[in-house]
Amino acid sequence: MKTLRLTTLLFVGTLATAAFGKTIELLNVSYDPTRELYVDYNKAFAAHWNAKTGDTVSIKQSHGGSGKQARSVIDGLGADVVTLALAADVDALCGNAKLIPQDWQKRLPNNSAPYTSTIVFLVRKGNPRKIKDWDDLVRPGVSVITPNPKTSGGARWNYLGAWGYALKKFNGDEAQTRQFVGALFKNVAVLDSGARGSTTTFVQRGIGDVVISWENEAHLALREFGADKFEVVVPSLSILAEPTVTFVDKVAKKKGTTDAAKAYLEYLYSDEGQEIAGRNFYRPRNEAIAAKYSSTFPKLELITIDAVFGGWAKAQKTHFADGGVFDQIYVK
Amino acid sequence: MILKVSTAAFRPALAIASLLTGSVTLQADERDEAIQALREQVRILDQKLRVLERKYETKEDSTAAARTAPKITINDKGLTLASGDDANSIKLRGLVQFDSRTFFGDNGITNNSFVLRRARISTEGTFAKNFAFQVVPEFGGGALSILDANISLTLRKAFTVKAGKFKVPVGHELLQSDSWTFFNERALPSNLVPSRDVGIQLGGDLFDGTVLYAAGVFGGVADGASSSNSDFDNEKSVAGRIFATPFKNSAGSPLQDLGLGVSGSLGRQKTATALTGGYRTPGQQTFFRYRTTAVNDGQIWRLSPHVDYRNGSLGVLGEFVVSVANARPTATGAKAALENKAWQVAAGYVLTGENSSYTGVVPKANFDPTAGTWGAFEVVARYENLRVDFGAFPLFADPAASADEASTAGIGLNWYLNKAVRATFDFYQTSFDNSSLVPTSLLLRQDEKALITRFQVAF
Repeated sequence: MKTLRLTTLLFVGTLATAAFGKTIELLNVSYDPTRELYVDYNKAFAAHWNAKTGDTVSIKQSHGGSGKQARSVIDGLGADVVTLALAADVDALCGNAKLIPQDWQKRLPNNSAPYTSTIVFLVRKGNPRKIKDWDDLVRPGVSVITPNPKTSGGARWNYLGAWGYALKKFNGDEAQTRQFVGALFKNVAVLDSGARGSTTTFVQRGIGDVVISWENEAHLALREFGADKFEVVVPSLSILAEPTVTFVDKVAKKKGTTDAAKAYLEYLYSDEGQEIAGRNFYRPRNEAIAAKYSSTFPKLELITIDAVFGGWAKAQKTHFADGGVFDQIYVK
Repeated sequence: MILKVSTAAFRPALAIASLLTGSVTLQADERDEAIQALREQVRILDQKLRVLERKYETKEDSTAAARTAPKITINDKGLTLASGDDANSIKLRGLVQFDSRTFFGDNGITNNSFVLRRARISTEGTFAKNFAFQVVPEFGGGALSILDANISLTLRKAFTVKAGKFKVPVGHELLQSDSWTFFNERALPSNLVPSRDVGIQLGGDLFDGTVLYAAGVFGGVADGASSSNSDFDNEKSVAGRIFATPFKNSAGSPLQDLGLGVSGSLGRQKTATALTGGYRTPGQQTFFRYRTTAVNDGQIWRLSPHVDYRNGSLGVLGEFVVSVANARPTATGAKAALENKAWQVAAGYVLTGENSSYTGVVPKANFDPTAGTWGAFEVVARYENLRVDFGAFPLFADPAASADEASTAGIGLNWYLNKAVRATFDFYQTSFDNSSLVPTSLLLRQDEKALITRFQVAF
């Protein structure tokens, strides 16, 4: 009789645990233009996680300029995962705060960059300023919108894309390259703190002739505000942008969310995750899925941060650190 | 043929018409160009306007964000952690005073010394905008004690209720911060006013800040004494102060920083212990104390009119205190009202041109030898006197061990290295009157000549 009671209790307990699984809350601290991507993805992951574990996962999102977001996490914003615009911003979490290990990029495939993007131009319908390539952005009188590289990851990609183009154009002559990028920033009318702010400036506030933009953000603008109002211009050369993701060990461990946080990022590499990325105008890593979206993503010459700039650490120090090349150019 | 004739006939007319049409076309082209130029100008202006609007918009956003972000401030006022809306804050402040005391011609008294006069790390804070607290422990001197520990509620500038332990609102110099008095030691009148006591007080600013008031109920402490954090008897004291700066809002007036005040306390005390721990010279030596058998029994009251005047580099302070205590020489002895009085006049002048201030001189340039800047220098002078009721001798006090009067002249130099760091060099000469020809107290046999130097950090 006792054995029967015990078995019954265990059975009921197991059922209850299954029926009333845990509720987990994750905070994804991301950069500016990923709002729509993660709204879409979070629903899919929550359903996947619930089916797999019985747990209910609720994911909160925080968005802003990538550099600023990294700073907020260092200052105590309790992010379980970060999905930032570039590896350098994630690297910042390794520093004094020691929120993640140095080798965080090795924890997930493709150096922890589950999707890629590049930098394109968004112009007004009919392209009244006849903007075709980076050269057109330095023409006198052309009003350019781009965010601030000191606070925005996207802006740093924009800057480096322009730099890479000029370096090639001037056969590696750094002085001329610097002059070119300086001339481009002289044409910048408004320097927003993040990429979404720049889109707002150009699209909704009607400022500027062209916004240098994430490819995904440009396509999103077409979808949201109408292809009859704007056009995407793909330059002859751009940069391969690799937004990176990681879970924040220190925070996740404290909150007991490490498993869910890891799974959340791993699922970005699943077929469903890659589909969602493609659907939201990010270039999927999965080649088969990327092929489905080939019409959205034209082929163009893409330089890489490693090949042209010697990696993010070097690029960050040379160009964006206080007193770096950007400060010198922009002050001038 | 007919056509030829007709054409020939109309040729001049056609030519004129053609000229006229051409002219009209030319005018239309010019007009179009002008319109285009105007359109372009409007477009450029429109863009400029939009850019300005957007910059303003993003500035507003960042200002709003800044309002919600917590703030950390580290400056010469200490460390402050504050919520973005400033409704909640915690301040960490500190005071360290290291003194060297040298006495001259002191008849062999062993009293030259180094003293850690004050060592305080205080915490102050605000919660929900209106509630504030203060905790000030004292690590300097001989023992650890709590100087201030209080909570206050401010509903408006004119209405702040404070409860706990804090300075009783009597006197003037005693209410000034220890860090910024003219001299490194307060003058004799501060012996006659209560220091810190436990109680509850109402205070605030009235009439555009031209009048400060404070009134409260306290446990009641002896002259110059502080509460031991509790008061178990039934006798309490009331104390109050009003301080007016009537010309405070008259910019440019030479009387703008003239302040006149009066303060006092009234209470009943019946204690089994001595009336006071004693009255001390600026050299911190006791020149008067009651006999240990003397006790309070009855009313105690104090009155202190005072004046404070600042005008540019000049600062002047004047203060008078009368303290009256009903006491008995022993528990069963005859009661008497003892009236002790003290006064002081002090002045300071900042040689380097900065303004004299009740809250400390702020140097125009901090001490930095590499930049050739030396901070601010202030010279100070003071005269003070304290007279004990003659009726106190000999029953209440031993005439051989206590003086009935002390007068001190002091001069000094204050060196403000920056807002937080000050060095002071003060010389005091105190003469004593006493009825005994050969006092048992060595201190009273000659004038006290004291050089007190202090190095202080206050933030």
